[in-house]
Amino acid sequence: MRLIDAELVESRRILPGQWIQWYHAPALAASVRAGQFVHVRTGDWSGLVLRRPFTVNTADAATGIVSIHFREVGRGTAWLTHLRAGDRLDMLGPLGQGFQVDPRSRHLLLVAGGLGIADVRLLVDEAIRDGRQVVLLFGARDASEVYPSSFLPDELEYVVATDDGSVGHHGLVTDLVLDYEAWSDQAFACGPLPMLGTLAALAAGRTKRLGVATLGRKRGAGRPIPIGSAQARRKAYLQVAMEQNMGCAVGACLGCVVWGVEGPQRVCREGPVFAANEIDWEAAVGAGAHKR
Amino acid sequence: MKAKKRVMTTSAGVPTPKRTPTVRKIKPAWVGPSSVSSATTSGKRPTTTRPGEVGADPARGMDPIAALGIGDVAGSASPDGLRASRAGIDAGMVDLSVDLGRGLVLENPVMVASGTFGYGVEYGEVVDVERLGAICCKGTTLRPRQGNRPPRVTETPAGMLNSIGLQNPGVDAVIERYAGLWAGWRVPVIVNVAGESIDDYVAVVRRLESVPGVAGVELNISCPNVGKGGLQFAIDRDAAAAVTRAVRAATDLPLIVKLSPNVADVRPIAQAVADAGADALSAINTLSGMALRADRTGPFLGNTYGGLSGPAIKPVALRIVYEVAQVVDIPIVAIGGITCLDDVLDYLAAGAVAVQVGTAIFADPTLPIRLVDDLRAECASRGLAAYGALVGTALPQRPGPPVSKGAEYRP
Ligand SMILES: Cc1cc2nc3c(=O)[nH]c(=O)nc-3n(C[C@H](O)[C@H](O)[C@H](O)COP(=O)(O)O)c2cc1C
Ligand code: FES
Repeated sequence: MRLIDAELVESRRILPGQWIQWYHAPALAASVRAGQFVHVRTGDWSGLVLRRPFTVNTADAATGIVSIHFREVGRGTAWLTHLRAGDRLDMLGPLGQGFQVDPRSRHLLLVAGGLGIADVRLLVDEAIRDGRQVVLLFGARDASEVYPSSFLPDELEYVVATDDGSVGHHGLVTDLVLDYEAWSDQAFACGPLPMLGTLAALAAGRTKRLGVATLGRKRGAGRPIPIGSAQARRKAYLQVAMEQNMGCAVGACLGCVVWGVEGPQRVCREGPVFAANEIDWEAAVGAGAHKR
Repeated sequence: MKAKKRVMTTSAGVPTPKRTPTVRKIKPAWVGPSSVSSATTSGKRPTTTRPGEVGADPARGMDPIAALGIGDVAGSASPDGLRASRAGIDAGMVDLSVDLGRGLVLENPVMVASGTFGYGVEYGEVVDVERLGAICCKGTTLRPRQGNRPPRVTETPAGMLNSIGLQNPGVDAVIERYAGLWAGWRVPVIVNVAGESIDDYVAVVRRLESVPGVAGVELNISCPNVGKGGLQFAIDRDAAAAVTRAVRAATDLPLIVKLSPNVADVRPIAQAVADAGADALSAINTLSGMALRADRTGPFLGNTYGGLSGPAIKPVALRIVYEVAQVVDIPIVAIGGITCLDDVLDYLAAGAVAVQVGTAIFADPTLPIRLVDDLRAECASRGLAAYGALVGTALPQRPGPPVSKGAEYRP
């Protein structure tokens, strides 16, 4: 973690209200892992006092370029859209725990709802680089919100669902998951809380449905793996990237918690990526259903 | 390794006669630069005169700046200190130290506020904590607390609301996890203490007593008093005084009591707390507020209400510091919306001797350290070897008639 002085290279509106911005930030590009985020300081000309967290969308260590993908939802993100190439942005990062891919996992299932794609996008690149097969299931309201396939590598299988059926599967992205649950060794998701809750419920029943053992040691040898540890997460079938309003983003203010089975968990520190079984889904979906 | 200053001084209670029965005398050192001007004219002083003490009025028996512990030894035994004070001095020579009472000596008056800086470790290498004046850690209770349901924070115009709900692992875990580390730091760590009953506060403070690494306690009295139907200690003068008295009796640790702005008139509470034995006061905690969900179907915060902080509350905090400074003669630590040197200078002028930075850290984690440098540079450019002359300059020279109405509302 450090304060990074990033320079905007390019800013592009990729969908209505959605932007991708590429920044020159070599130290970040070299160190960030999929699922980690940066805390971005916006201009304080209009009384904005908090930074905004953005998951690092892509990172290229060779060129030193990282990107963020965001929707213009308030004054902070509106300010960002007005930046021009050459403008500088103060980023704190990389922050949080990223996705934990088991070295033995060959087939990765990624599930993204809407802007949740920004959280799993870098994992696509990392997994393909490591020679894994990746399926990305993407859900959106309608065709106008579908993430352009031109922004994705060819090696990826990209399957789309829309609520209105204007593109791809007519229905929820979670409808598609069962088709891939036997094929996939691990699954990684980000999106609206109800979607994540559904995925968590599906994941909890998976072992029973498939009648197969999960990855990992079969015999009960060794100490139990503590919940929330990197090792436990690596062994989990489903990992989710959670979102919450943040203050400090370094674990100091306790402002960003989601409710876990072992009490409050800081999204900025224990997360943003959790194993699905760490989260108290009833509490989380109930509390987070309303956005401000 | 431990080089924390715990110098006992006699500064805590220089007796000063009250000018009126109800309004206490303004601390002389805090009023006006006159106390410094004599320094620049007294060329015949021995070279051992401390720049921070110049202007001592022998008639008062003790130098008031020294009594407050502001400024100490920078340039001592050096004639340069005096010569320089005529026209700008080297910033490196400016002494920013301050004594908050009972030997709690800070190297500089810029602290970080409770709840915004965790336990001093979270910002890692981003912030050089050793350069801070002091660290107030997250509110600590007797037993672990899980805190409120999320969401817990949201941005508001020029501020933010938080409803953390005092999530913390409990005093024993705090000591076990962090005190050893703190003991190796040069920066004093002040443990912010919260409770639901006087016994709670006393029990927490007893555990902190004589723990290496704990330099003092700050009582967060903006907590519901279970014994009084949930009425907050901070808004109940008798309860505020009672908890202060009980903690004072239980510990020799430097004791700061943190005032709440959510009261009609803070002055009687401040006086009662000072009389009950607080070494210093800090002000203010957050203002009670709320926000709604975007669809207006209910409150946004999981806890409905939250505390407002940030630049939006600075005028309120400034008013409270200004009011409190006129009725107590113990040091005041100002808190509320500090984002730049001008804010610090405002609070000093209103009678505070130190400040805490909170919300602004989230946007700018290195701000507190820059404020130390800025304050030093400001003193140097004004030719001040210490910052005591900046304290209290905005206070009325004479206390006005006592005000018996509620908070003075100045439309
Ligand atoms: C996220 C957050 C948590 C806080 N937690 C505490 C706390 O545990 N104890 C306390 O006395 N004050 C707490 N405060 C209040 C601050 O210490 C400070 O009094 C207040 O935020 C005003 O200062 P500011 O405007 O610089 O933030 C908290 C404030 C924030 C923003
Ligand atoms: S945002 Fe402060 S603890 Fe996570």
